Amino acid sequence: MPATKDITEAVFQETITRAVNEVFNTMLGKKATLVPLAPGNHTASDTVDLEHPHIVGTVGFIGTINGLIYLYMDVGFAQHCAACMLGMSDTEIAEAGDETVNDAIGELTNMTVGTFKNQLADRGFPCKLTIPSILRGSHFRIEPISSATRRIYRFDIGGRPLTADLLMQHGD
Amino acid sequence: MRYKLLSVDDSKTVRIIIKKAFKLYDVEIFEAANGVEGLALAAKEIPDVILLDVTMPVMDGVEMLTKLKGDPRLKAIPVVMLTAEGGKDHVLKIAKIGVRDYIVKPFKEEVLVQKVGRIIDLKPISDAPAKAKSIFDSANLLIVEDKPAIVAQIQEGLKHTPWQVHGVATTGEAIDYCGRNTADFIMISLSLADDAAATLFRVLRANLKTKYTPIFGLAVKTDSNAQQQAQQVGFTGIATKPIDMAELEAKVAKAMNLDTSERYFSTDVDLLLMKLPELCTPNVVNEITGYLKGKVADAVDSGINKVVFDLQEVKRLDMVIIKLLLTAMQSCREVALQYTLMGNAAIVAESKGYEDTRGWQFHENIEAARQSFQKAPVAV
Repeated sequence: MPATKDITEAVFQETITRAVNEVFNTMLGKKATLVPLAPGNHTASDTVDLEHPHIVGTVGFIGTINGLIYLYMDVGFAQHCAACMLGMSDTEIAEAGDETVNDAIGELTNMTVGTFKNQLADRGFPCKLTIPSILRGSHFRIEPISSATRRIYRFDIGGRPLTADLLMQHGD
Repeated sequence: MRYKLLSVDDSKTVRIIIKKAFKLYDVEIFEAANGVEGLALAAKEIPDVILLDVTMPVMDGVEMLTKLKGDPRLKAIPVVMLTAEGGKDHVLKIAKIGVRDYIVKPFKEEVLVQKVGRIIDLKPISDAPAKAKSIFDSANLLIVEDKPAIVAQIQEGLKHTPWQVHGVATTGEAIDYCGRNTADFIMISLSLADDAAATLFRVLRANLKTKYTPIFGLAVKTDSNAQQQAQQVGFTGIATKPIDMAELEAKVAKAMNLDTSERYFSTDVDLLLMKLPELCTPNVVNEITGYLKGKVADAVDSGINKVVFDLQEVKRLDMVIIKLLLTAMQSCREVALQYTLMGNAAIVAESKGYEDTRGWQFHENIEAARQSFQKAPVAV
């Protein structure tokens, strides 16, 4: 069985990029472009302006590899994505309330992490998805435990930023 | 028969997308948020197809599928997995339990409809009798014809209708148009090269969106071979060149199952108006006769007790029209409706020449007709 260390940085980057692109293109008709980051260790707050309200969707994957992915988007973009997905206008989605937006972002995250982990599963790392959860707020910071490796990817989706925070547990 | 589709997914978003995807089809959708709710609804409704997610709280999709297949009453219900769990091993494991199809999220609504359409005979909701469209509603007509003059002739001939006539020259353009739009009526030139009309017909019939769309062949009047072949292939009907636009319009309306009664019948406060058109061909008279009893009954049902037969636009009175009017008058008498007539000078003069119509009194306008009812209980 292959080990996690066999997965190169390039594979992680290609896999997450393909996953984000496939989901946003299929469900919302939007193209996602990976924005290169300067070399070095990053946290989500390096790429996300958490001074303003954000919605973060998270889904984990457990099996021969374990980890989770957080998708960060500002509230306005999240509402726009939810509206596109559900065929509603921006006004209608605002009237539909936070719960509807949360559910849509949870599902977008679920699809993105699903597409990511399915590619890894086909490379010999089978795992299952967890149920999505949502964080909302501003001025917060998510810290990984010490046994996790963090990778940050930033995407431009029609001029709006999306940050994917990939945490993989060591020793898998 | 209305098909039942059960959607089992913990995401309300996915359930809304599913409802959206099938909103144009005559399908009743039931929703459950987990396997327990899904099993209960499946047992209660016995759906024709189940769309099932895998990762859900309370009871996941794999457990629900296993229980479903273990229940003699439910095991035959086709299940389509709709899940983000798509690794090859995972799909194979679930396939072994018994699923009809497997869709990995993200998914396009069209793919969903297409796959479900392979299991149940999805019918567009517009085919349901209650949704009959009127002759005054807009409709999209697609003409597949490589001769621009013919397309222009049809567009010109139908420009008085609320229909949008869109012309394309090739089968590729036609398929592309049908993918992006909903065509209510399609007419394909039977003289397209390489038997393209029959090929296009088959492609359109295989597509869920155009499966029930009326498709006509367009051929030269004398080309009986082409017309015969088109009928064998299954074309809904044939139109011939040179095109008789009135005939084509009537055929298109009939093929689209349009309610044309509003052309001839309307209500004005307490009156039912039956208006005969300028050209009262035998086909038109048949059409009006077909609506007559229903319209009279509807009038009585809604409290209307007076009818005006309007012949103001009719050019000449002939036996076909007289027979129609006598039938209409008899229908009115049967339900005690008062009636009178409106007509132009030529019609009034002609009416004096027939035994049956000599005694008819015509009024010049609707107000005069209305006043006549106040003078006499039954005005003829």
